[in-house]
Amino acid sequence: MDPGLKPRALLGAYLAAVLAISFVHEPPWLAAGLAAALLLSGRRRVALMRRALLSVLAFNATVSVGYALVAGWQGTFSADYLLLVNLRVLLLVFLGFWFVSRVDLAAAVSFSPALSFVVTVAVGQIHALKRVARDFRLAFASRNPERPAIADRARLAVAQGQHLLEKSVHAAGEVEMAMRSRGCFDD
Amino acid sequence: MHIPDGFIAPQVYLPAYAVAAGAWWLAARGLRETLDHEQIPRLAVLTALAYALGLVMVPLPGGTSGHALGVALLALVFGPRLAFLAYSLVLVLQSLLFGAGGITALPVNALAVGLAGALVASGVFRLLRSHDETLAVVAATWISIAVSAVLVALVLGVQPAIAHKPDGTPLFFPFGPEITLPALVLPHLLIGAGEAMLTLLVWRFARSRKWTPA
Repeated sequence: MDPGLKPRALLGAYLAAVLAISFVHEPPWLAAGLAAALLLSGRRRVALMRRALLSVLAFNATVSVGYALVAGWQGTFSADYLLLVNLRVLLLVFLGFWFVSRVDLAAAVSFSPALSFVVTVAVGQIHALKRVARDFRLAFASRNPERPAIADRARLAVAQGQHLLEKSVHAAGEVEMAMRSRGCFDD
Repeated sequence: MHIPDGFIAPQVYLPAYAVAAGAWWLAARGLRETLDHEQIPRLAVLTALAYALGLVMVPLPGGTSGHALGVALLALVFGPRLAFLAYSLVLVLQSLLFGAGGITALPVNALAVGLAGALVASGVFRLLRSHDETLAVVAATWISIAVSAVLVALVLGVQPAIAHKPDGTPLFFPFGPEITLPALVLPHLLIGAGEAMLTLLVWRFARSRKWTPA
């Protein structure tokens, strides 16, 4: 059996679920969907739910509070709406994290070797660049026991931007040479 | 700036997917024709760069800061096509791996920020560079961020009119353009000014290393 078949099938199922959920406008059905996803997601359900809650918290809280204030002032407040939108967003994000925890994204897009390769290299490089950005931030914080001036923070941003750009340009060359040495460009 | 999952109605995101698919196909078609030894790794690494530039905090007056978008910088250094593709891939990875953005918001984010932002940045830069290159970079970045913010605000702002219950209760994003436009555009005018300075300085660095187009 094609090893990419199961990830592709799961990708298809995930996308179909996302599409279906965006057509559901009844909170009880969304709550049932969330309960079902929690039940089926196995031992990682708590960690997945915690991650989903944290990732939606800021935006959803802002929209929910804003809606409560504006709609309350206009006399059009609907608790049903708040339940609907928060359940929908939470369910969609939970499904996304659950999908990624079950599936290797590069395998899921293996129908296109180029796309699969781009995803693999990009994810690896993202982790490397994230570490660089974090190192910059921590080093800057350690050098500034008091809140730095705007000019210092601007210099940090420019230094980060220049370094990330330089590292990326060189990484592109290195990856190309690595691919060439492994025969990726041989016909 | 980009929109999270669950706030865009299917009446908007499905047609947006159709438009975005056409744009992705057109952008990738040119790449496939020249898909040589450098293009695939370059696209992959630029995708990572597009992600990482979003981690850079642009300092703003008043002690606050905002995230850089990086689309204008990518468009000025590598061209709008690669910038659009790289930013679209970042949106996919962000939504699936890091829980930011989302699959239903992907086409709108890609078109409003990735495509419109990159095209506006490149267009303004070409228009102004013969007069003053510094002004061209600053204006290109600032205008591209402002245009993207207006587009995102408009897409969010039409949601209550497009998808609502018979009694008028919204089904997706609840605020109209009278709220989304000032709420999104005004802060981004300030963020755009900070990012324009950042882009200018990184652009000069890239040009000194001859990475920018002639």
